[in-house]
Amino acid sequence: MSREPILRAEGITKRFPGVVALSGVTFDLAPGEIHALCGENGAGKSTLIKLLSGLHAHGSYEGELTVAGRPARFRSVADAEKAGIAVICQELALVPGMTAAENLFLGAEPTRAGLIDWASVYGESKALFERFGVRIDPRARTSDLGTGQQQLVEILKALRKDSRVLILDEPTAALTETETAVLIGILKDLRRRGISCIYISHRLEEVFELADRITVLRDGSTVATLDRAKTDVSTVIRHMVGREIKDLFPRRATAPGKALLRVSGLNASSGEGGTAFLKDISFEARAGEVVGFGGLMGAGRSELLMHLFGAWGRRLSGSVELMGAPLGAVTPETALERGLALVTEDRRRYGLVLEHPISFNLSLSSLKRLTAGLLLDLKLETAKNDEQARALRVKAPDLGARVGGLSGGNQQKVVLGRVLMAEPSVIFLDEPTRGIDVGAKIEVYEIINALTASGKAVVLVSSELPELMGMSDRILMLHDGRVSGEFAKAEATQEKLLAAAMGHSRN
Amino acid sequence: MENKKLLRDLSPVIALALIWGVFATLTPHFLTPRNLSMLMIELSTTALLALGMFLIILPGHIDLSAGSGVGLIGGIASVLIIQHAWPAPAALLIAFLIAMAVWMGMGSVIVKQKMPAFIITLGGLLVFKGLFWLVIRNSTVPVAPGGSWNLYSLLTTYYLPHAAGYALAAACAAGFAWTREQPDRERRFLERFTVAQALFLFAFLMNQFRGVPLPVVILGAAAVAVSVLTRLTRFGRYLYAIGGNEEAAVMSGVPVDRVVIGAYAIMGGVVALTGFMQTAYSGASTTTVGELMELDAVAACVIGGTSLKGGRGTALGVLFGALIMASLLNGMTLLAVAPEFKFIARGLVLSLAVWLDTRLSRA
Repeated sequence: MSREPILRAEGITKRFPGVVALSGVTFDLAPGEIHALCGENGAGKSTLIKLLSGLHAHGSYEGELTVAGRPARFRSVADAEKAGIAVICQELALVPGMTAAENLFLGAEPTRAGLIDWASVYGESKALFERFGVRIDPRARTSDLGTGQQQLVEILKALRKDSRVLILDEPTAALTETETAVLIGILKDLRRRGISCIYISHRLEEVFELADRITVLRDGSTVATLDRAKTDVSTVIRHMVGREIKDLFPRRATAPGKALLRVSGLNASSGEGGTAFLKDISFEARAGEVVGFGGLMGAGRSELLMHLFGAWGRRLSGSVELMGAPLGAVTPETALERGLALVTEDRRRYGLVLEHPISFNLSLSSLKRLTAGLLLDLKLETAKNDEQARALRVKAPDLGARVGGLSGGNQQKVVLGRVLMAEPSVIFLDEPTRGIDVGAKIEVYEIINALTASGKAVVLVSSELPELMGMSDRILMLHDGRVSGEFAKAEATQEKLLAAAMGHSRN
Repeated sequence: MENKKLLRDLSPVIALALIWGVFATLTPHFLTPRNLSMLMIELSTTALLALGMFLIILPGHIDLSAGSGVGLIGGIASVLIIQHAWPAPAALLIAFLIAMAVWMGMGSVIVKQKMPAFIITLGGLLVFKGLFWLVIRNSTVPVAPGGSWNLYSLLTTYYLPHAAGYALAAACAAGFAWTREQPDRERRFLERFTVAQALFLFAFLMNQFRGVPLPVVILGAAAVAVSVLTRLTRFGRYLYAIGGNEEAAVMSGVPVDRVVIGAYAIMGGVVALTGFMQTAYSGASTTTVGELMELDAVAACVIGGTSLKGGRGTALGVLFGALIMASLLNGMTLLAVAPEFKFIARGLVLSLAVWLDTRLSRA
C-alpha cells in the first residue's frame, strides 16, 4: 500500500496490573482496505480495538496512534467517533422497541422548532438504505428485523456519522449463511467507496474471502502482517497458534456399540399449533459414535436437540428410546437424570450463570449427587470441580473467578464440564466450537474423542461443513424439519451435503 | 478495586456505626439496656420479614403483599382466639398453614401463568388489606382476652431467664466453633473468641433489662436457617442460579418452578410468623398493623447488598440492612421526630444505600 494509511498504530504497549496485554504492536490500515485481525482469544485483539476506538484513553498506553498522518489522542469513544472511527460490537447496541430509522438517528434526532422532525428522520433513513442497497423498511420495528438486518442498521448508523473506519468484532457470529453473504457484499461495496474496515472473525473462510491483508496477533505482539493473495489458511493458523497443527479435526473413531438413543418417526410442533415442524425424523446414536447433524439455519437442527432434551415444542407422534427405555415428555431436569445432556448453541444465554464463579457453574447440574442428607457436601463439591476443571484444562486463576470474565473457549469448557459432571451417556453438542479459537476448538474435539472412547454417544450439530465432516462418524442432513440425507463418513462430500441441505436429494 | 470491594462489603457496618454514633450522641437513652432491648424486639419483626423477602428476591422475584399479609394473618389468629375462643396454639397453627397455602398459590400463579411477581403481589397487597379489614371488622381485636396471657401474647413479652440467656449464648458460641471452617489456626481462635465475646456481651446487656427477648431467639433461629438454606443446600444454590440466569438454570436441570413456588411457600410461613410477632408487639390487630412493612423488608435486603435483579446477596447482609432500618426508626422515635420526617429519612437512607452500592460495584 503506497498511500498514506488512514489509521496507524505504532509500537503500542498496553499494561494492565500484572499483565502486558499488548507489547510493541504495530498495525496500519490503508484507505479502502479491509484488514483482518486474527489471533486466539487473549492474543490482544480486543485490547487493540478498545485502544483504537478510544475506550482505553490516550495516556493509558505507550506508543502512538495516527489518523491520516496526524497524531491522535483519543480521550473517549466520542473523540474516536469524531475522527471517523466506529466500532460495531458483538453485542448490538440498538433499542429493540424503536423503528430502524429511530435507531439510526438515536441521540442525533433532527429537530424543527424543538420537536423531532420525523419527516426528515424517515426521509434520510430511506435515502441512506437506498444508497447502500439495503432492503429494510425504515419504519420496521428493530425487534422484528433479523440479526443480520439489525447488524446492517448498526453499520449504517456508523456510516451516517461519516465514519471512515469501521471496526467489526465477530460480526457474523450470530448470522445465518444468507445474512453473512449480504454483510460481506456490503463490506465489499464499502471498500469500493473508500471506507476502511478492521475485520475480526474466527471464521477464516470469511477472512480469506474479504480481507486485503491479515495481521496476526499472538500473546500481545504482532506476529505477521500478510497479504491475502500471498498466503493461505494453514500459514495463518500456524502464526496464530505458534506451532504447526497437523490435523484440524483429530477424530479418533471407536467401534460403535449398542444404540443408546433411538428416535423413530418423530413429529413435533413448536407449541400449541398442530402442524409439525420436525417431520418424521428417525435416527439412532450408538455408543462410541459421533452422529453429525447438518443443514441450513432454520432446518430444525437445534429444535430437534432441544425437543429431545425437553426444552422445545410438543411431540405429536413418534417414539424415543434412551438406553432401551422409552423417553416420553421430559424436562431438562429429568433428561439430565436419565443420562441425556445438551450443550446449547448460545452458551452465554442458556449455558452459564455469568455473574457466578466457575465452581458454581460446574456443579450446577450435579448438585443432587453432591448432597449428603439435607446439606451439600462442599468438600466433595470442591474436589469434583477441581477434578473436572483440570481434566478439561480450564484456564483461570482459580475456580472462584467469574465465568463471565473468561474467554469464549474457557466458557465453553465450563459448560462442557457442567454437563459432563452430570455423567450423561448421550451428549448433544449444538455448535460446540462457535466463536472459540483454533486451539480451544481442538481441545473440544479431543473431549469428544475422549467421550466416545469411554462408550458415550455424541450428537453433534454444526454449521461448518468441514467440522461436520471432520468430526462425525455419520452425518444426517436436515432440510425443512426432515432428514434429507444420511451419509457415512467416507462417502460425504461438501457437494453432497450441501445438496441435501437444500433438499435436493433424498436417500 | 480490591479496596472498593472491601468498602462495599463493609459499608453496611460503617453505616450502622455511624447511625448508632449519631443517636448515642443526640440522646443518652439510645444505648441503654432498656432501649437496646426494645430495638432488638423491633428488629426481630423487620429482619424476619426481610429474611423471607431475601428468599423471594434471590431468584429475581418480589413480594409486595408481605405487609398486608402480616396484618391479615395476625388478624385471623386474633379473631379465632377472641371471637371464636380457640386456644392460641391452634389459632396460630391454622393461620400459619393458611399463609403458607396462600403464598404457595400466589407463587404457582406467578410461575405457571408467567405473570410478573410485581403485579400479582401488588394485587395481593390490596386484596389482603381488604380481607384484613373484613376479618377484624375495622375494629381492634386483642391477641389475648383482657388481662390474660397466651402463647400469642407471649411472643413479644416473654424474656428468657438470665441463666437461660447465658446458656443460649454459650450454646451458640459452641455451635459456631463447631460448624465454622477456618483452616488458619490463629484466625480460627480469633474468630471464635470474637463471636463468643459478642454473644456473651449481648446476653449480658439484655440481662441488664429483662433478659434475652423471645423474638430475638426466633429471629436468630430463622437467620441461621436462612443462612444454611442459601449457602449449604441445593434449594439455595438453585435460588442463586435462577436469579443469575433463569434460562441457563432451566437448561442445567434446575426445577425452576418448584424452587420458586417453594420460596413463596416459605415466605408465607415467614409472613405468618412476622404477623404473629408484629401483632403481639402492638397488643392487638388494628387496621394499620403491618402497613408498609414490605417496603422496609425490601429496603433491608437492598441495603444489605441483595441485588433486586436476583442472584446476589447474603443472609448476614440482610440482617445488617434490617438492623440499619430498625435502628433508624427506633432512634427517631426516641428523639420524638415527627412521623412525616421519619418517612422522609427512611426513604433518603434507602436511596443513599442503593446509590452507594451501585457506585461501589462499578469496577
